[in-house]
Amino acid sequence: MLTAAAKFRIRVNGRIHDVYAAPRTPLLYILRNDLKLNGPKFGCGLGECGACAVLIGNRSVRSCTIALSAVRDRAVTTLEGLGNSDAPHPVQAAFIANNAAQCGYCLNGMIIATVALLASHPHPTETEIRNALRYHLCRCGTHIEILAAVRSAAAWSAEAGQAGDGAVDDRATSHDPHEAAS
Amino acid sequence: MTDRHDRPSSDYLNAPDTLVVVRPAASGPDDLFVAISSTGLVTAFNGHVDLGTGIRTALAQIVAEDLDVAFDHVRMVLGSTAATPDQGATIASETIQIAARPLRFAAATARHYLVGLAAQRLGLTPDDVTVQDGIVRPKAVSNRSVSYADLIAGPTIRLELDLGAPLKPASHYRIVGQAQPRVDIPAKATGAWTYVHDVRVPGMLHGRVVRPPYAGFDTGAHVGTSFIAVDEASVANIPGLVAVVVIGDFVGVVAAREENAILAMRQLRVTWQPAPDIPDLNAPEAALRANPSTARQLTNQGDVDRGLAGAAEAMNRTYVWPYQMHGSIGPSCAVADWHESGLTVWSGTQNPFPMRADLAKLLDMPEERIVVARLEAAGCYGRNCADDVTADAALLSRAVRRPVRVQLTREQEHLWEPKGAAQVIDVRGGLDLEGGPAAYDFETRYPSNLAPTLPLILTGKVPPVADVLQMGDRTAIPPYAYGNLRVTVHDMPPIARASWFRGVSAMPNSFAHESFIDELATAAAVDPIEYRLRYLRDSRAVDLVRAVAERAQWLPHTKPQTLGGEGDILYGRGFAYAVYVHGTFPGTAAAWAAWVADVAVNKVTGDVALTRVVCGQDTGQIINPDGVTHQIHGNIIQSTSRVLKEQVSFSSTAVSSQEWGAYPILTFPDVPDIDVLLMPRPDEPPLGAGESASVPSAAAIANAIFDATGIRFRELPLTPERIRAALNPLPPPAPPATAAQSGWRHWFPFAALAGLGALIVTAMPFRPSIAPIERPRANVFSAETIERGRLAAAIGACNVCHVGHDGVAFAGGRALDTPFGAVYATNITPDPAAGIGAWSYPAFARAMREGVSRDGHHLYPAHPYTSFAKSSETDIQALYAFLMAQPASPSRAPETTLRFPFNMRPLMAGWNALFLSSASALADISRSPEWRRGAELVEGLGHCSACHSDRNALGAERKGGAHLTGGVADGWHAPSLSTSRFAPVGWTAEAFYDYLRTGRSAEHGAAAGPMARVIESMNALPDADIRAMATYLASLNESAPSVSEASAAAARAIAAGVAASRPADLAMPVAARLFTGACASCHAETMTLTSLALTTSLHADRPDNVILAILQGVDAPTSSQAAIHATAASDVPVSAGMPSFRNTLDDQSLADLAIYLRARFAPDKAPWTGVNEAIARSRAASP
Ligand code: FES
Ligand code: FES
Repeated sequence: MLTAAAKFRIRVNGRIHDVYAAPRTPLLYILRNDLKLNGPKFGCGLGECGACAVLIGNRSVRSCTIALSAVRDRAVTTLEGLGNSDAPHPVQAAFIANNAAQCGYCLNGMIIATVALLASHPHPTETEIRNALRYHLCRCGTHIEILAAVRSAAAWSAEAGQAGDGAVDDRATSHDPHEAAS
Repeated sequence: MTDRHDRPSSDYLNAPDTLVVVRPAASGPDDLFVAISSTGLVTAFNGHVDLGTGIRTALAQIVAEDLDVAFDHVRMVLGSTAATPDQGATIASETIQIAARPLRFAAATARHYLVGLAAQRLGLTPDDVTVQDGIVRPKAVSNRSVSYADLIAGPTIRLELDLGAPLKPASHYRIVGQAQPRVDIPAKATGAWTYVHDVRVPGMLHGRVVRPPYAGFDTGAHVGTSFIAVDEASVANIPGLVAVVVIGDFVGVVAAREENAILAMRQLRVTWQPAPDIPDLNAPEAALRANPSTARQLTNQGDVDRGLAGAAEAMNRTYVWPYQMHGSIGPSCAVADWHESGLTVWSGTQNPFPMRADLAKLLDMPEERIVVARLEAAGCYGRNCADDVTADAALLSRAVRRPVRVQLTREQEHLWEPKGAAQVIDVRGGLDLEGGPAAYDFETRYPSNLAPTLPLILTGKVPPVADVLQMGDRTAIPPYAYGNLRVTVHDMPPIARASWFRGVSAMPNSFAHESFIDELATAAAVDPIEYRLRYLRDSRAVDLVRAVAERAQWLPHTKPQTLGGEGDILYGRGFAYAVYVHGTFPGTAAAWAAWVADVAVNKVTGDVALTRVVCGQDTGQIINPDGVTHQIHGNIIQSTSRVLKEQVSFSSTAVSSQEWGAYPILTFPDVPDIDVLLMPRPDEPPLGAGESASVPSAAAIANAIFDATGIRFRELPLTPERIRAALNPLPPPAPPATAAQSGWRHWFPFAALAGLGALIVTAMPFRPSIAPIERPRANVFSAETIERGRLAAAIGACNVCHVGHDGVAFAGGRALDTPFGAVYATNITPDPAAGIGAWSYPAFARAMREGVSRDGHHLYPAHPYTSFAKSSETDIQALYAFLMAQPASPSRAPETTLRFPFNMRPLMAGWNALFLSSASALADISRSPEWRRGAELVEGLGHCSACHSDRNALGAERKGGAHLTGGVADGWHAPSLSTSRFAPVGWTAEAFYDYLRTGRSAEHGAAAGPMARVIESMNALPDADIRAMATYLASLNESAPSVSEASAAAARAIAAGVAASRPADLAMPVAARLFTGACASCHAETMTLTSLALTTSLHADRPDNVILAILQGVDAPTSSQAAIHATAASDVPVSAGMPSFRNTLDDQSLADLAIYLRARFAPDKAPWTGVNEAIARSRAASP
C-alpha cells in the first residue's frame, strides 16, 4: 500500500537527521540518497546478501529490510561512522591490512558483521567467524582474505583487552536540521 | 555530491610544466599514456578497466618501476573515453599481458629522456648516473642530484611512445615483484570510494526498467516486438513520477525518489505478447545437440579412426556444463546525463569504447559527443561486456532531459545478465595395447557469447539475430601429446543470452581433457600424475605439475579409494592441470595452473566438501604477488562454487532463477583451505592471472570425487542429489502420505440464504435519517475527551481499515474483500460532504452500535458494530470527539456495490435482527477489574472477534463455541484466541502481552498481515490496557500453559524442527537450498528471530498464512524501543521486516518452499494439500 511521505527523525553516525519519506521506505535508500552515505550498498533488497548491512546499536542488520518508520530512536551506524581512512576503526584497519577486497562491493557487510561479531564474541572461534559471515555473499571469492582480516581484528581486540573496542559510540551528539531531505 | 570525472586527455596534452608520452593518432587527439607534472606526480592512462582484480595497483607498479619513481607518486586513470587510449574490451586476462605493454614502454620512454637530460645537467653521461624515486644522482659518491620535477618546466614536453625504449632488467626491479597493498582498499573499507553506484549528479532522477517476459533471451522475431500496451493510470498515484518511457520493448519509469521509481516499476501494468517456448536448458545436452552448428576442425593428426578401431576398449564419454551466472553482488547501475550537445554516462562497463559506439548507434549521436566515464562496479567476471544499464540510463535521460540513475533489481540482474554458456563435449578414445592413449577424438559444442547491449535489441536498433562466432575453441587442443588427435568445434548461435565468463570455453574443455586423461590413467593402472607427465611436453608445464605434486605431498596410486574414510565420509584426492588459451584460435596462452583437490564425500547425503586445494600457477613475471595470490584464491572459490552448486534454472519460456536461493553460491562455511604456489619466473614476460586458476577446477574436483567413491561424474554441478543418486540409487524417503484433515472454515458457504427473505417481514428495513448538523467545532470537546478518543481509536484500530489510499488517516477507500464483493471503508474524517462532519453524536452512536448510517441506510457488518455495541457510552462519545477533531479529508471512498442479494442494503436489517445483541454483556462482577477491562477492550472496541471468529453463511460472527476460535481477515487466517488451536505452544498471558505490545512473542514469532497494523495502532494504549487484554485472552483458554510449561513446549517444538531438518533437506534439496539462500539469513536456527518451528501458521491446517507472508512480506510493527525492552522478546533484532517475494518466486518455488517449511518446522503435522490452490488464492489477495 502506498503511504504518503512524512517526517522522520533518525540518528545516524551520531547525528540527528530529519528526513521526509514514505514510512515503509527501506532505510537503505534513506541512507544512500538522503544522507548520501555510500557505505551500505544495494545488493538484493531481499535480505539475502548482506551488502546493505548497518549497525543498529551493536547489532548488524540489513538496511534493505528495515522500514524507515521502524528505526525510531535507535542509533544507526554505517561504515562511514566507524572510521575513515586516516583513522580507521580497528576492524576496518584489519581489512585494509589484509587486502581483504577484490571489487569490495561486499566489504561493507563484511566489516559491519565483523564489528557486530566482536561486540558479542570478543574471542570468536573459527566456526563462529564463519557462521557470522555465512549469510554475507562475496562473488569475487575474497573469503580467504576476509577470514584473515576477521581473525586479526579479533586478535587485536583481544590484545587491546576490551571487547568493547569493536563497539561503536551510538550517542547522538549533534543535531543538524539542515541535513533534512533535499 | 559524488560527481567523479576524470580530466580529459586534452587537459594534459597541452598543459605547461608537463611531460607527456603519446602515440600520435591517425585522427583526433594523440593517445596519452603518461603525464608527469612539475611536482613529480605521475598520471598514467590505460584503456582497460579494473574489474576488482587490482590491476589499478599492478599497473601503477609497472609505471613506477620503469619510470623509477616512488609507487605512491603514480595515479592510474582507467578506461575513460575522454582520457585514455582505446585498448578495446577488458577481457581474457589481457591487461597485464597485453594492454600494459605500451604503458611500460611509455614509462621507459620518459625515463630514458629524463635520465639523459639529468645527466646532461650533471655534466655526466647517462651511464654515470643512477635514479631512484625520481631523483637522478651520479654513480660516484656525490651530493649533487637532479629530480625529474626539476626538469619539467615551461611548455609541454611531448615525447612519442618508443616501443624500443630500453626496459629495466628484472634483476633491477624494486617495485615490480614486491607485494604491494592495494591502493583502493582503504577508501573501500571506509565508505569513501566512489563506485558507479555512488555517482550523484545535480538534478539526478531515479529510473527503473520493466523488462519483457522473455527474460534472458535476446534473439528471435518476438524480441523487440512483444510490447502491446502500457496503462499509465496504473502508476498515476506514484508521488514524484516523472515519466513512463516506452520504445519498442524497452520500458522504463523515472521518478524523483528511488523508492518511488521502484514502486512505479512494480506497479506499472504492461501488456506483452506471451513469450514463446524455449528448448529445455535445465538439462542442456539435448538443446545444444539440436542447435544448428557448423563444424570447424582445429587439428587432425595421425589416424584417429584407426587408433579408435585398435583401442582395447572404446571409452566414449560426454561431459555436460550447465548455463551459469556471473552473479555480480551489485546489480548493474549507471548514471546518464543527456543534453542537446552530448551525452555523459558514468558506467561500470568492461568496454568503454565499444560502449560509446553502442550509445552512438542507440541515440543517433556522433561518438565524439559521448563521454563514457568508467567507474568501478561490483566484480562482474565478464558480465559487463554487455552493460545494458548504461544504455537504459541514456534512453531514460534523453526522455526526461535530466540526469537519470538506473539500477537493476536483483531479480532483473539474475534474469537478464548474459549468462556463461552451457557446453557439451564428446570424447572418443581408449587405451592402446601398451596402455597408452589409442586416439583422442574431441568435439565441443559451445553457443556463442557476444550478447549485444540489450536496449539496442529491445528498441529495434539492432535486429535480434544471433551472431555465430568462434568461441568454443579456448583450450580445445589438449595439452597432451596424443599421437592420433582430432579436435572439432561446433560453432553455434547463442540459445540463452550469454557473454564471456571467467575461463569461458576453456574451463569446460579442460573438464573433459583432464577427466578423460584421469580415466585413461586408471584404466592403464598408472598413477594419474605419472600418466600425464608421460604425455606432457611443455617443460614449464612439467615443472609446474611436479612442483604442485610435491607441495601437496601427492601419494602415487593406481586405483581409487586408497584414502578410506570415517563413518559416512569418504576421502578422495584429485589432480588437474590446464593452460588457459584465449583469443582467436590458435590463441594466446595465459598462466599455467594445476590443482590438487581434497574432498570429503558424505555417502549418505551426497554432500561434497572441498576441504583443501593446493594450486600452483606459472604466471611468468609476477607484478604484485599479493594480487596474483588473491586472484588465485578468488578463482578457486568462485570456480568451486560453480562446480559444486551452480546451474541456472529455466521455465518453459525464460530464465527462472531470480535470487540467491534459486542460484546459491559458495559461502564461508564451505570455503576450503588453500595453499598457493607461485612459480618464480622473474625473467619471463608476465601472463594473465585473472582466470587461469579456475580452469582446472571441475576436473580436479570430479577426479577427487572419483578417488573417494570410484564413480566418475561428467555433468555439473556436483550437487548432493546428483552424487547421492549415483552412490545410493534409492529414492529419498517419501513424505508421510496422510493428508491433513481440512479444518478450514470458509466465510459464507452460502447455505443459509433462504431464511433471509423471511426475516424482512419482521425486521424494520428502513431506518429514519438523522438530520445533518454543522460540523462541531473542535473546542467543544475537552482535551481529556479527545485523548480518551484517541486511545479508543487506537484500540479499535479504526485506521487499519479506514486509512486513505495515500496514507491519510481515516480518509477511507480501502477495499475489504468479502465473499460478496469488496466493501469499501468510508471516510470518517469530519469532512461534511465526504466524511462524517455532518453527523450528530446520535447518528454516530447509532452507526457504531446498530450499523445504520446517518441517512438511514444499513452498513455492512464488515463494520464490526456488533462488537462496538458492547463498548461503553463514554468511549463512543470520546471517539466521536476525537474524530471530529481530526483534519478533514475531502477524498471520497468508492461506493460499495455487492453482488445480489447482498447489494440489497435493507436486507441488512433482517441480518441485524438475527445477529446484533446490543446488551452490554461483560459485567461479570466476580472477575477482577483487570479482567473486566480486558473483556471490554477485546469484546467491545477492540472487536477482535470481527476477524478471529468464524462467520456464518450470512457474514455474521458465529457465537458460542465458535466465538474467537479463528476467522479470516484479508485472506489471512486469524487464528483462534481461545484454544491455542494449531499453535505448537499454548498462549500464556505473558506471551499475549508481548505480542500485543511489540508485535512479537518469543514463543510465537511476529505478527503479520493485518494484525501487524492492529498492533501498531495499539501502540498508543497504556500498558495497563494491554495487560488487561492479555489477562482476559489468556483466561479464555482453559488449558493455558504455565510459563514453564510453555517454554518446555517451545523447546520440544524447536528440537523437533532441528531433528526434521536433515530428512527434509534430503527429500527436498532444491527447496532446502532456496530456504538457505532466501530465508536463512534471518530464519536459520542460529538467528535470534523466533524459530519458525514455533510459528502457528506453519502448524495450521492450511498453508495460506505462510504463503501470504512470503508473497506480501511482513512489515515490522513499529513498536517503540521502550516497549520492546519491557518484554521477554527484548532480544529480538531491531525491527527488520520481511521483504515481499511476490515478484521473486514463481509458483513452483513457492509451492516447494511451503511444503519444505511444513516438513521441516512442523514435522508432526501431515503435509498440506491444496498448496497450489492456496497460492492462487493468496496471489489474488496480494495485488
Ligand atoms: S541488499 Fe540488503 S541484504 Fe542484500
Ligand atoms: S570482493 Fe567482490 S563481492 Fe566480495
